[in-house]
Amino acid sequence: MSFALTSFKKDISRWRQDVMSVLIWISIPLMIGGLITSLIGSDVKPHGVLLMVDQDESLLSGFVAGAYSSGELGELISVEKTTLEDGTERINEGDASGLLVIPEGFGAALLNSEPVTLTLKTNPSQTILPGIISNVTEILLDAGFYAHQLFGDEINTMTSMSDNPPDALVAAMAVTIQNKIESVAPQLFPPIIDVEIVEPPPKEPTPPLALLFLPGMILMAVMFSANGVASDWWRERQQGTLRRLVYAPGQLGAFVVGKALAAAVIIGMVGGLTLIIGFFYHDVSLSKLPSSLLWVALSGVALFSWFAVLQMSFGSQKTASVISSMLLFPLLMAGGSFFPLAVLPGWIAVIGRASPNGFVADRLTAEVTASSAWSIAFSDWLIVLAAAAAGLTVCAWRLRSGFARA
Amino acid sequence: MLKVEELSKNYGDLVAVDKVSFETGKGAVFGLLGPNGAGKSTTINCISGLLQPTSGHASVAGHDVVSDGKAARRNLGVVPQELALYEDLPAVENLRYWGKAYGLHGQELDSRVVEVLETIGLSDRAKDLPKEFSGGMKRRLNFGCGIVHKPQVILLDEPTVGVDPQSRARLFDMVEAERDAGACILYTTHYMEEAERLCDSVAIIDHGKLIAQGTLGELRAKLGARDILQLSGSFPEEATRHALEILIERGDHDLEVISQEELGLTLTLSQASQHLPAIFDTVSGAGGNVTETSLRSPNLETLFLLLTGKELRE
Repeated sequence: MSFALTSFKKDISRWRQDVMSVLIWISIPLMIGGLITSLIGSDVKPHGVLLMVDQDESLLSGFVAGAYSSGELGELISVEKTTLEDGTERINEGDASGLLVIPEGFGAALLNSEPVTLTLKTNPSQTILPGIISNVTEILLDAGFYAHQLFGDEINTMTSMSDNPPDALVAAMAVTIQNKIESVAPQLFPPIIDVEIVEPPPKEPTPPLALLFLPGMILMAVMFSANGVASDWWRERQQGTLRRLVYAPGQLGAFVVGKALAAAVIIGMVGGLTLIIGFFYHDVSLSKLPSSLLWVALSGVALFSWFAVLQMSFGSQKTASVISSMLLFPLLMAGGSFFPLAVLPGWIAVIGRASPNGFVADRLTAEVTASSAWSIAFSDWLIVLAAAAAGLTVCAWRLRSGFARA
Repeated sequence: MLKVEELSKNYGDLVAVDKVSFETGKGAVFGLLGPNGAGKSTTINCISGLLQPTSGHASVAGHDVVSDGKAARRNLGVVPQELALYEDLPAVENLRYWGKAYGLHGQELDSRVVEVLETIGLSDRAKDLPKEFSGGMKRRLNFGCGIVHKPQVILLDEPTVGVDPQSRARLFDMVEAERDAGACILYTTHYMEEAERLCDSVAIIDHGKLIAQGTLGELRAKLGARDILQLSGSFPEEATRHALEILIERGDHDLEVISQEELGLTLTLSQASQHLPAIFDTVSGAGGNVTETSLRSPNLETLFLLLTGKELRE
């Protein structure tokens, strides 16, 4: 065990000389993940500008302008008052989602129940926001009609009031409006039919799509680092140190264990860093970090050991490198590093979950989206542990059977 | 301390090492000489445990390298022909690592590492990475890694290949220091002058077989005081052979033909310089033409030529 620790320290010291490789393993998935998240995962809502030309300048036209920018609608639409010329020019240039022209006499026409035409010009290059503006405008006009039917006298009084109406008049109007609302409330808000409300079974909250990308991104970093660390067997062979190791008495097993420990630390560091960034970005509970990190590090050792077996099976480093790279990218593709397994078609997802990295990513997805930590099944931990042990055993056998001697 | 008995290594039909036997003891340097591909490295690889011998035995400090491999290796230090270093680990860490691989630790390891750094002349570069070293410095560190655990038997496989003269001299000093400290050293080389300087006894190997073995004195005695005379030019085969036979029959010198080809003739005889006119007359009388003459006094190189009929570095 002592020599295993010595070998572990030796490998960590050597990797410290090659920080650039470690940075590349981290930065590629982060770059791709950042790009994907920025494309699909941001919470930024669409926001449009409604240009408003108020030629009436009345209290009622002011209500219309205010209606667009109040409440949740205000988060979607900003109202900018402008002149007809400027508004026309800007909407023609596509500089806004819509242009609403309130003509002179709008307020009076509404009060006198006379026809009036509002002009709404929308931006054809946008799809959602102009539709919202158009619908809101129609609702406002309907609301105006019903308001006039109910509170026509009060509105007339309000429009004819001075800037500082007497308190008594305001109070009287408030009482009148309240009385009218109370009198029509049974018709407006009746329990027309009895409805039995059946609670649907509680649905698991669907995790955000961007969060589903996170495990695949982490596995990409893990795969890159596992493959990179596995290539160290060839570096050692070319430096002649494996051969010198064979001269030493009975240290091959400890040497392999040392390499596995170093791989666990390096892959754990790479995976851990991407995990932490992902956890903070997606606001995942940090209580899941230890379990996720352990899962990533242990799986990383298993992947490292089998990449090592693969690389040690070929007669030259070049061939080993080409073959492992050829395998790496299809595995990343199938295992959900580019598209989350949850959004892949069923049969492809089944294949993906059967791939080594897909298996790991699938369990990691479950862990980061579960309601509590340590949700990965004990049997899954055992599978990964067994895979790592088997891979390392084959590595030791390969060393003894000639790889170290060449 | 190092005993090799009837050691053979076959690769299919190819016999790389053929029943090689030799023995050497404490505080001695045993030279294994031979041209490239003669079987020197294969012999070393069998002794070091890198290769399994096809037949025969080798033992290090009394431990069989196959049946008691661990104990044998614990007493064995190998300085391979190719560098075997962590280029990205400081020199001192290389030594510490390989010391630990052989079970050294604590104070013993610390003091031995300091001692070896001193021996190989890298104390002032201990913390530097070998990738920044010159070829000679790397060779010295390679040597240091092989002896850091103070082995009783050291195998040196052509340690001076590609080394500048200064580093070569330093390596010789290091080998002599280990020998003086009591180590048993097996030294392979195809440089005869190295063997003559370092080795107490020598075995000459060619095509996997030992063709001569003994102390330097014993091997020189095999040559006698005869020189080696090499003639280049053109030598009609039959006529030259006949003329040389007549010359030998006259019996006024101990002439012996080592090899005779159409373009070259190798002869051995005592005080060859005095007999050159007679030899030239004989050759030209047989229709031959000498364009180049090389006369060498007896040494291991000429012994090899005598035994195999070819140059050591061919």
